[in-house]
Amino acid sequence: MAVSDAFANMTWYEWIAMFALGICLGALLFHFSRLIRLGRPKDRAPAAGRVAPAVIYAMTGAMNPAKKETAYLHLPTYVAGILYHLGTFLSILLFFLIWTHLPLPLYLLLFLSGFLVVSAGCGIGILCKRSFRSELRALSNPDDYLSNILVTLFQTGTLLTLYLPGLRPVYFLLAAILFLYIPISKLRHVLYFFAARYHLGLFFGRRGVWPP
Amino acid sequence: MTNDEGRMTKDQLTREQIWKGLEPLRGNGDSKLLTHLNSCVHCGLCAESCLFYMATRDPHLTPARKVDLISSIYKRYHTFTGKYLPALVHARDLDEASAREMVDLLFGACTLCGRCTMHCSIGVDISYLVAVGRNMLSNMGMVPATLQSTVQAAVETGNNMAIPTGEFVETLKWMEEEVVDEVGDPAARIPVDEPGKQILYTLNPREPKFFPLSIAAMAKIFYVAGESWTLSTRMYDVTNYAYFSGNNGEAALIANRLWNEMNHLQAGSLVLAECGHGTRAFRWESPNYLERGFPFPVMSSVECIAAYIREGKIQLDPEKIKTKVTMHDPCNLVRCGGIIREQRYILHQFIRDFVEMTPGGTDNHCCGGGGGMLSMSEYNERRMKAGEIKAEQIRISGAEIVVTPCHNCVDQLIQVNATFKLGVQIKTMAEIVADALIIRNQNP
Repeated sequence: MAVSDAFANMTWYEWIAMFALGICLGALLFHFSRLIRLGRPKDRAPAAGRVAPAVIYAMTGAMNPAKKETAYLHLPTYVAGILYHLGTFLSILLFFLIWTHLPLPLYLLLFLSGFLVVSAGCGIGILCKRSFRSELRALSNPDDYLSNILVTLFQTGTLLTLYLPGLRPVYFLLAAILFLYIPISKLRHVLYFFAARYHLGLFFGRRGVWPP
Repeated sequence: MTNDEGRMTKDQLTREQIWKGLEPLRGNGDSKLLTHLNSCVHCGLCAESCLFYMATRDPHLTPARKVDLISSIYKRYHTFTGKYLPALVHARDLDEASAREMVDLLFGACTLCGRCTMHCSIGVDISYLVAVGRNMLSNMGMVPATLQSTVQAAVETGNNMAIPTGEFVETLKWMEEEVVDEVGDPAARIPVDEPGKQILYTLNPREPKFFPLSIAAMAKIFYVAGESWTLSTRMYDVTNYAYFSGNNGEAALIANRLWNEMNHLQAGSLVLAECGHGTRAFRWESPNYLERGFPFPVMSSVECIAAYIREGKIQLDPEKIKTKVTMHDPCNLVRCGGIIREQRYILHQFIRDFVEMTPGGTDNHCCGGGGGMLSMSEYNERRMKAGEIKAEQIRISGAEIVVTPCHNCVDQLIQVNATFKLGVQIKTMAEIVADALIIRNQNP
């Protein structure tokens, strides 16, 4: 079914999910435009290095597990985190695929399903770590758990709906809840992550620290 | 509800204190604060990048907790969830309890070294947020009295150790005699208040107070380089502890004195003595405090010495120091200041047995004495516990001499050396360079 057909035949639960997606994107756009409007800090100290290469480094080389202590000291968590995030982006992609009923070749369906099994498993693993390690539990608030649970459920729901079309109403309602939750929760780091890396590159770049 | 003194009976903070405390969270007109306040995901992986957590294994002392403390207050007043569903995100009021916790964590368990920032899985500028938190506390009049007294000394007397000018001048005369003896030239001098010189050199007050020989060491280097330089008796303090206390007004006042002295003496450029935070506060922060760019060149003494070597103005004898040497990188000079290669260039000219600390460079561990910790005696025990990380690094290096281009780090390392019985010598860059300096009489 083409996108135009998908629009033409939208069910009530698909409308709700799309409406929620619109609110989510609108809210994120608001956050983004606010960051753009505020702009970068006015630093009057003469720069000792170049900003552009440092920002690129902040987004690339500085994320290299070999360079980042939080990664190389916690490699299993780091890998789980990467897989979990990839699974989330894949699920969002598949959300549109499910909505449009576009068929997938069997080998691709199996591969993507396998990946979602792994990524959802990583999400559960991260949730367990947060629940069982005392120092992480002390740091966590309900939003930390809820965000994790919603995203993991979304990944799981995506996986199941690929095989069980009867779950579509539940799946789209779950997606709607997730979309509405993103802008008001820690999940908005989908946007702020990039802003933070930019500012980090700006800071260390001007001071001649990055790129090394 | 207020009591007789007009203070909130529930939380013991006045409304005015709370209003002033929240002022930094209202934003300063750019996206940096908003970004970092909204970015932490509580992964907790930053814990092992913090020397306070590493030394104590106290989960209360992790960088994420410090960020959470500030961002939870931000959320309470500035986000939808924090305002209407505070329990969901643990949004907190700014009250006596949260303010006390902020004092303990942001002043007493952070040196603003920035190591957690560099390694944060997201990229949250944690030390920047801690500085914002200190700014909040400063607005509320809650800077630890010990740190505030250091700032106050600088504001009221012109230097953080309240050294009277007469005593300073006497010390300089004494050191001038040392220089004369060492270079064998009766005409060698430590110039004071001389206008129109190429360099105005400014000291860390710890030098005239406790380590006057480091003044003589730099004077020897200037002498051999044939430099046109002067010290000032009106401004001989490179430090700016208001940068640590979070009082930007006082930081601007202190920084402005150095600008004024540069203008007064009409010096060509300003050379900042070996002081990590002093260099950072002046080189990187003062133009923003004062809202104007430098009309004169500014460099650290490390850059100055490296330039002398490159230009052939000074030569160093590689036979002088034969023991193993390592170097401690001051966080404010290196990770947060970008002076990374110059000190290595200098040491490689004459130290045959040099060994880097691991980790080192921009990844180095703080000595534990930064962020104003040395001023805050109430945190001595925690500071020395944190110093254990550096002690272990030094021990593993096997070095007999530890060089560090920062007088603040020197103080902490001397205490670390004694506490952990390392048996090493601690030297500034100027001191070790002066030890190996090939003396040429400038007035034969």
